[in-house]
Amino acid sequence: MTFSLERPETVGEAIRILSDPSYAPAVPLAGGTDLLLDVDEGRIPARTVVSLARLPWRTLHWEGDTLVVGATLPFAKLPAEAGVRTRLPGLVDAVEAVGSLALRHRATLGGNLGRAAPASDVLPILLAVGAVVRLVSASGEREVPIGQFVRGSRETSLARAELIESVAIPSAPRSAYVWQRVRPANDVSQVGVAVAWAGAPGAWQVALGGVLPTPVRVAEAEAQLPNDPPTAAEIDLAARAAAAGAAFTTDKRATESYRRRLVSTLVRRGFARAMAAGGVP
Amino acid sequence: MTGPVALVVNGVPAPATDVPDDERLLDTLRWRLGRKGTKEGCRTGDCGACTVLVDGETTLSCLTLTHEVAGAAITTIEGIADDGLGRRVQSAFAEEDALQCGYCTPGFIVAVTGVLAELGPNATRESILDALQGNLCRCTGYLAIQRAVERVRGGTP
Ligand SMILES: Cc1cc2nc3c(=O)[nH]c(=O)nc-3n(C[C@H](O)[C@H](O)[C@H](O)COP(=O)(O)OP(=O)(O)OC[C@H]3O[C@@H](n4cnc5c(N)ncnc54)[C@H](O)[C@@H]3O)c2cc1C
Ligand code: FES
Ligand code: FES
Repeated sequence: MTFSLERPETVGEAIRILSDPSYAPAVPLAGGTDLLLDVDEGRIPARTVVSLARLPWRTLHWEGDTLVVGATLPFAKLPAEAGVRTRLPGLVDAVEAVGSLALRHRATLGGNLGRAAPASDVLPILLAVGAVVRLVSASGEREVPIGQFVRGSRETSLARAELIESVAIPSAPRSAYVWQRVRPANDVSQVGVAVAWAGAPGAWQVALGGVLPTPVRVAEAEAQLPNDPPTAAEIDLAARAAAAGAAFTTDKRATESYRRRLVSTLVRRGFARAMAAGGVP
Repeated sequence: MTGPVALVVNGVPAPATDVPDDERLLDTLRWRLGRKGTKEGCRTGDCGACTVLVDGETTLSCLTLTHEVAGAAITTIEGIADDGLGRRVQSAFAEEDALQCGYCTPGFIVAVTGVLAELGPNATRESILDALQGNLCRCTGYLAIQRAVERVRGGTP
């Protein structure tokens, strides 16, 4: 046997086990779709796995215009909730891009953030709309903007024995997430592009996933989009600016030059989709 | 550690003793409870061969710890025809010859049953096929599988 499993019923108990040296190394378990493979293959050492399944975090509610998604809500529950599809279409695009329906019956948003994968399909839209991660630990609660939360692949600003409790996601009725893969299901996106209108002139936000070790906002592209709705020429400039950015990754899934072409194409598609979602002709 | 788990498999209580904490539902079903209809393809969540229903939801049993589903109702291929929809899916696969080597078939039949129940009678063909994208057929008999899905949707017995 590789690890022992704890199934605490309260947040306090979960944090206590995660901090207790006699359980170390101890790691939290949500859906397990990343963690179990990481533990099996020795990428994450674990003597104790602490299941979050009994914690009261399988939740979803609105705080005014902000959707608050509990860390352990399975992805499959999210698109069906009232209002989510119209108020955050880009989030629904991203969630429905993850794996397969059977995977989404277990995989969670908390787990996706905990893994902080370079090609996560969820992180770009969270960056584009300016989501905030709510954390809890023995020393209390704190909030971290998503851009500061993710530091690298499997690197986050989580302290030891600190947990993601929920994610606060401002609504963006004009938003979209588009992606390209070799195979549509259960494959890693070569590039993912999120675009969102943040509600103020000059406030189109563009974020890329899969091109660098962490998802990034592209200020150079955003600067080309002063108007709402943007003109075709502005979108064209933004697509070029996004593709001209930092040195993109080359790996087994795509070369850097192919990624640049994808970024340019996907930025255009993302705008078309976001404007259709928001009812702009 | 190990411990007992009270599973209900295909409507029948199936208590298992001494289940290791890290055991996957797939292994409990196959090796502890002898329900070998559920197949192991990849063990990494990629193929769907291990699909079972957990409280009615399609679930990859290779990525699920048995202790995490304690108390849940598990439906496997052995029990899928106990219910009217599952029976129709199973016979549609037979009628349409929707299998070649048959290795992916238990996972597909369970997944189609779960997806049709979850999406409901008004689901579009496209949304159903989207929800089945995680099931792979190495023999690539996808057209016959799609015909089987259509047969169930169209109500052909
Ligand atoms: C076949 C397959 C296909 C996939 N396809 C995609 C895809 O298309 N797009 C995509 O983005 N991802 C994909 N993934 C990756 C994975 O499914 C997602 O990252 C998923 O969101 C992880 O969630 P989980 O609940 O399963 O996390 P877990 O595996 O339970 O946890 C992941 C990590 O986060 C930590 N963690 C979990 N919850 C918390 C918490 N509340 N607080 C602090 N830390 C926590 C864990 O300790 C672990 O390190 C795929 C995985 C597989 C196996
Ligand atoms: S064996 Fe579980 S998905 Fe392949
Ligand atoms: S029939 Fe052979 S894998 Fe599908």
